Order: sequence, then structure tokens, then C-alpha cells
Amino acid sequence: MDASQSAPALVESLLAFIAQDGCSDDAFDAMALRLFAHQHAHNEPFRRFCQGRGATPRQVRSWRDIPAVPINGFKDLTLSCVPPAGCQRVFMTSGTTRGEVKGRNWHPDLAVWNASFRGNFARRFMQGAPRIRMGILFPDEPAMPNSSLAHYLQYALQEFGAAGSAHYVGANGLDVAGVTEALSGAERSGEPFALLGASYSFVHLMDGLRSAGRSFRLPPGSRILDTGGYKKQSRDVDFDEFYDALAAAFGVPRERCINMYGMTELSSQFYDDGNAVVPSLKSGPHWIRSRLVDPLTGLQVAKGERGILVHCDLANYNSVTTILTEDVGVERDGGFLLLGRAQGAQAKGCSLAVEEFLKAAA
Amino acid sequence: MTNRVRAGYLPGLAEQDVQWQVLAFGEGPGQVQVEVPVLTPDQMQALARRVRRSARDVLQRLTVSQIVAIVDAAIARLLDPADPHRQEAQRFLPAISGYDAEMVRLGLGSFLKAFRAPQLHRFLAEDFANPKVLDEFQPAAKGGAVRAFGPGLLVHVWAGNVPALPLWSLVCGLLVKAGNIGKLPSAEPLFAGLFARLLAQVHPPLADCLAIVWWRGGDGSAAPALFAEADTVLAYGSNHAVDQVRRQLPVTTRFLPYGHKLGFGMVSRAALDAQRAPATARLAAHDVVRYEQQGCYSPHLFYVERGGRVGPREFAQYLAGELANLQRRFPRRALALEDAQAIAGWRQAAELRTLAAPGAELLGGADAAWAVSYSDEPQPLAPTAANRCIQVVAVERLDDVVALVEPHAAFLQTAGIAADPAELFRLAGLLGRAGVTRVAAPGSMTAPEAGWHHDGRFNLLDLVRMVEIEQSAERAAERFAPYAQEDLG
Repeated sequence: MDASQSAPALVESLLAFIAQDGCSDDAFDAMALRLFAHQHAHNEPFRRFCQGRGATPRQVRSWRDIPAVPINGFKDLTLSCVPPAGCQRVFMTSGTTRGEVKGRNWHPDLAVWNASFRGNFARRFMQGAPRIRMGILFPDEPAMPNSSLAHYLQYALQEFGAAGSAHYVGANGLDVAGVTEALSGAERSGEPFALLGASYSFVHLMDGLRSAGRSFRLPPGSRILDTGGYKKQSRDVDFDEFYDALAAAFGVPRERCINMYGMTELSSQFYDDGNAVVPSLKSGPHWIRSRLVDPLTGLQVAKGERGILVHCDLANYNSVTTILTEDVGVERDGGFLLLGRAQGAQAKGCSLAVEEFLKAAA
Repeated sequence: MTNRVRAGYLPGLAEQDVQWQVLAFGEGPGQVQVEVPVLTPDQMQALARRVRRSARDVLQRLTVSQIVAIVDAAIARLLDPADPHRQEAQRFLPAISGYDAEMVRLGLGSFLKAFRAPQLHRFLAEDFANPKVLDEFQPAAKGGAVRAFGPGLLVHVWAGNVPALPLWSLVCGLLVKAGNIGKLPSAEPLFAGLFARLLAQVHPPLADCLAIVWWRGGDGSAAPALFAEADTVLAYGSNHAVDQVRRQLPVTTRFLPYGHKLGFGMVSRAALDAQRAPATARLAAHDVVRYEQQGCYSPHLFYVERGGRVGPREFAQYLAGELANLQRRFPRRALALEDAQAIAGWRQAAELRTLAAPGAELLGGADAAWAVSYSDEPQPLAPTAANRCIQVVAVERLDDVVALVEPHAAFLQTAGIAADPAELFRLAGLLGRAGVTRVAAPGSMTAPEAGWHHDGRFNLLDLVRMVEIEQSAERAAERFAPYAQEDLG
């Protein structure tokens, strides 16, 4: 049976699974194993990867046994159960760390991705509000058709944005005047407003507002969603400073500043419940589970110890469910703390470090 | 029990007048805390002037042979296992640097031996046909006379955790009679201060001729205060770090940068028979293990020629076997999560290559404390994640390597070559043109010999100013001598 035949039933079960209120450990494992068998059967590079680790559907008993594919695998291998040509969408990483090679996550269509997004976003960001006026600090989807974040924000606007919602990053960059006008309008109207975008866009926006001497007190119920971190793209600011600055610039209390943690290589997102305290506790919906491992052995670290995050995302049905990230975290009750990307080890001696070499070669 | 030790060496400054910052190394009971001094700009300036003055009054009045004898006496103390300074170094350096204690002990021994009197004289002879030019005017071959003066104040900005590395430039500075102020590397802030204290003990008049300081990278105004006083500044580190130093220097200050480098090895088919291949692999493994590839001369890749009785893949297997052996003798240090992640990333890339490229192989499992990535196809030179990650790359002919390393000329330094004599010289010529400055035997890559030209430079000559008395002046002077005879002819 090829993947196109097996997939409709699988997709149907997955959509039902996502629509559930929650799931038991056994139910999660059952779905994870079904997806593992599917991906093992229909994706040759993944099967070879598993062979290298001696993992077959017969031996894998729980989601924890599924070999985690390093995110670099999305660059070097074609991780898709159907031929990429038959896929409606491919999301690509921005490819900043390894030159031109980009990680790619193929989606036959976006039904599962969108379903995964919708319920989770409604609960974690909208928190019961049906719609809210949105200002998006990111290019729209036509401008960046391969960006999962562009799709995320476009779809958020489409599904949850009230009239007057708009994108404020275009061909000419960030439209500070446009955002300023929208924020002033929200202040006058007393209607809650939501600003969503990449963390570094917020840094740029706040720089712009500061030089114009502007700040806002957005109406109660307003909220902020930032994502992606701001290291490397923008000034190096620490979490506390960043959320203090957001609260000061927009009058949105830190507990309503929500950080989303998502990846091109996944089809689901994690959120925190505000950033009154940083680092905040991140958690995902019932169809994604995470563990923290020693990056070398792949073994889980003791609870409370720093490790590298492995995610098993059941919505990632066409590529691989289980990925090994480069993100450092610590397990806590109810989720994990995200401590940022594992910085390339600094050269301790006088031997050239990989980072410096790449920079010189670029 | 915590182990706390105070670093640096600050003649003329009372310890209580100085702020100290603690740098912690390791965790748990074995943790070592090193207190490093944080000086104000005024303190830094006063220190610089004191060192410059003392060097002029004391060091510059010694002959170079006397200085050699003093350094030799200090080194003899450090080579003595019973000496308290040696014991202090041996007690703290493993925790600070993270290297295995036995590796530190052996490494220190072989390193320090390069600074005994005969080796120091060789060092001088390497740069000066007549080392007496450092003491007095000597006849110049072209006529007239010449004398070499070191800088009045030489500032060293050190980097890295390879134990005792600052000794190279510090001893160079002493030999050219400079007042020396060194900035401790944060990764190994102990040794330089310890050596300075020892030197002052061995020859007390030298006490004020050198100082060892510290500042946080990219921080504050103490560094510029020191740089403003320096005649010459030597800086080690990444291009970024070296550039940061350069930007702080007055344009008239002489600047000698030493950037990070990338070592590699080459094994000719001549060294690939049943007896020689395992022996060469053993030596190569030592180069990999010593200082966990953190040295500028450490190898990250071995190019192995096809056509020998032992093939490149077998050589990789021998190398893997030797690394496994050495793990028992010199266990790899405990890795920080960042190091583990870097190694994991490198391993993943190597593993993915084995899925994509025919013949590629990754030797050493996830639980091994080493890894050999074998490639059957030519690969450009690139750093590994260090910590015993090494690449072995098969090539048809060693001459092919030149084109693979040449694009990285700015990062080349040491090449370890196992080949027959004719090949050695031919390859050395090709590699030299490509940017390599040092060819060593496998097994000796991490132990440069006394008098080596670091990064192809003249360690001592680069520091001095030659002062010439031209023949005209000498002839003219003759006429003004009280015993001059008018030519009545």
C-alpha cells in the first residue's frame, strides 16, 4: 500500500484525535506507533536512519523509542512519505546557520497543520475571545510562501482577526507609522488589540517608537504574541528586559505577553501563559510530547537537569513525528522551560571553532 | 571544600586595594575558584608605568645570557615535581582547563622543557645570527654597527585554555628585555601569574619588570588605559577578539595578531604498510587527544593517500582503535551541554553523510568518547567539534590536498606529514605556498620545537627595533676623537 492510499484514513484519525479534549498515555502511544509504522514504511531515508539505530516498528513500543531525527536531517534528507511534487506546501527554515541549505517540511495539504493550529491558538492565545483586531509584525503569506510563521500569522488573522486587522511588514520593511496609527486607534476606541510577530520585529518597532518618543496604553484585554527569539537578528536583549520593554511600550502587562515556540520542522506549537516570570513554562497540546535528552547519547536527562529538547508531534504525519532540536530546556511539572538555542561551543583554545570558520567562509 | 586561588601578579599594588572577581571552573567538590583582579584605569596606568620604568632600570641592564639563566632557573623549579609552584599548577590546572590530570602533567613536562637554557639559546640563535645584538652594538655585515631594542612596554592579550601557553610570548618579551604586562586568558587564568611570582622569587630584582592582569572581554576602560601605554601589543584569539583589541590601539602602537588556526595531517602511501600504518595511526591519535584539539596546531582532519598496502578506510579504523585505547589512559573531560551539543551536531552531519554519500562511515558509537568520520571522497578542510572528533579523508594523491586546503590559507598553520623524504620536501613546498607555516611529524603536531616560527613569524625579531650606527657616523666620529691625527699629507 502506498502512502497516498493509507494517508486518508490516517489523516481522518488524526483530525479526530486532535479534536478530542485530551488523551491518555496509551492513546498517545498508539497513535505515535501507528504514525511511526507509516513513516517507516513510506519514507526511505527515514527507514535507513532508523536502521542505523536498530529501530523497527517491531521494537518501538512507545513514543520515547522513536528515533529522533536531528533538525539537520530536514536539510540533508527528503523526509516525506509522499513524493514532494505531490505536496501542496513546503515550509522551509530561514537557513541562517548553514549557508544555503534549508530545512524543508513537506505538507501534502494543510488540513492537519491548520487543525493543530486552530484549537491550540484559540485556547492559549485567544483565551475565549472569538476575534480580536490584530497587527501582524511579519510579512504576509504571499510574500513568504515557504515560511511556516507567515502562514501561522496569516491564518491567525483569517480565523481570529477582527475587522481592521493588518500586516505591517511589507516590501519596505516595518511600517512604523502604520502600526503607530493602528495602536493610537485602539487606544481611542477602547477595543482590545493584539500585536503578533517575530520577536526581533518587536525590538525594531520599539526602537522606532522610542526614537519617535511614543508609547501606548492599549485597552484591557489587549495582548502580545512574540516568537522566534531575537538573538542574532537584533540587539542582544535579555528576556526580562524584553518583556519589561513590551509592557512599557504598549501598556500590555507581562502576563499577557505570550511567547510562542514553534519550528518549521513541526506542525504544532507551544505556548506559555504569559511572561510575568522568565523563563516561562512552555507547554503544547495533547498531540505533542517532549522530553529532554543528552544530545550525544539520546538518553533522557534527570528531571530538572538541562538537556536538548526532543519533540514528538503527531500532527507531523508526513515527515517525521519525532525530532531532535538544538534547543536547550529543563523539564518542569506541566511543561518545560526553554533556555534558548545551544550556542555553538566557543573555542576554548586557539583552534578554529566551527562558527568562526563558517563566518569566514560565508 | 572549595579550592580558591588568587591569580594575576600586580607589583606595587596592595591586594586590598584591588577588586577581585571569581571565575569558577567545574562543579561540586572539585570546583576551583580563581580570583582575578579587576583594575581601575588609574591602577592600570600606574602599573604600566612602573613596569616600564623597572624594565629600563633592571631588565635592560642584564645581558641576554643572564636573562636566559634566570628563566632557566625558574623553569628548573617548575620541572621539579617537589616544587610548590609546580604542585600548585598540577593541582589546579586540570580542573581549570578541563584536561585530564595525567595529560596536564605530561603536557607541562614536555612543554616546559622547551624553555631550558640550551633551548632558549637556540631560540635566540633562530632569530639573531649574533644574539649579542640584544646587549650592545655589534658590527653589521654591511658595515657600521647594529643593536636590537625590545619595546619598553609589551602588552600580551592571551587566549585559550591550553595550560601554560602564555609562557611562549612572555619569555619572548623577557628575552628582548621588554617590560611585560599580560592579560590572563579567562579560560586558564592561573599559570601566567604563577610563573611571574616564581620569576620574582628566583631573581628578586625582576619583581617589578612584569605584571599579570585581567579584564572581562570587551569591557570597561582599564584595557584602553593599558593599551595607551604600550609600545607593542600581542593578541591571541578569534578574528573577532583580535579585531576588538586592534580597534582600541593608538595607530602608532605596533600590533602583532595571532588568530585561531586549523591543523591537519597527511599520510602518504609510503607510511601505509602493515607495520607503519598502525604506528602512524597511534601517533596521529596522540595529536588528536592532546589538549582535546584545542591547540592551534591540533589536527582536525587527516588526508590519507590511496594505493598503500593499508587503505584509507583501514587507517581510519586503526585511528579509531587508538582513540579507544587512549580513552582508557587519558579519559576525555566531562563535557558541558554546549560541547556535547556541538559534538552531537558534528556526529549528526557525519551520520547523515553516511546515508547520502557512498562509502562514508562514522566510527565510534554515541557512547564513545571519540569519533572518526571517514569519507571516501575528497573533502575540503573544515574544523570538527574538537574533543576527539576527527575526519579521515581518502585522496588519490597527496598533491590533491593542496587545492582542498588552499582556500583556507588564513587559517593554516601546522600540517602533520608522514611521507618519504623526497615527498616530504615536495609537499612542504606546495603546502608552504598554500599557507602552511609548520610541518611536523604525526605525534609531534602539538609540541612545536624550541625556536619554531609561530604562524611563520619571527617571535623575537618581530618584537625588536634595530638601531643602526652607519659607517658614515663611525667614520665621522673618528675625526672627533681626542687621539685623532690630522692628516697632514
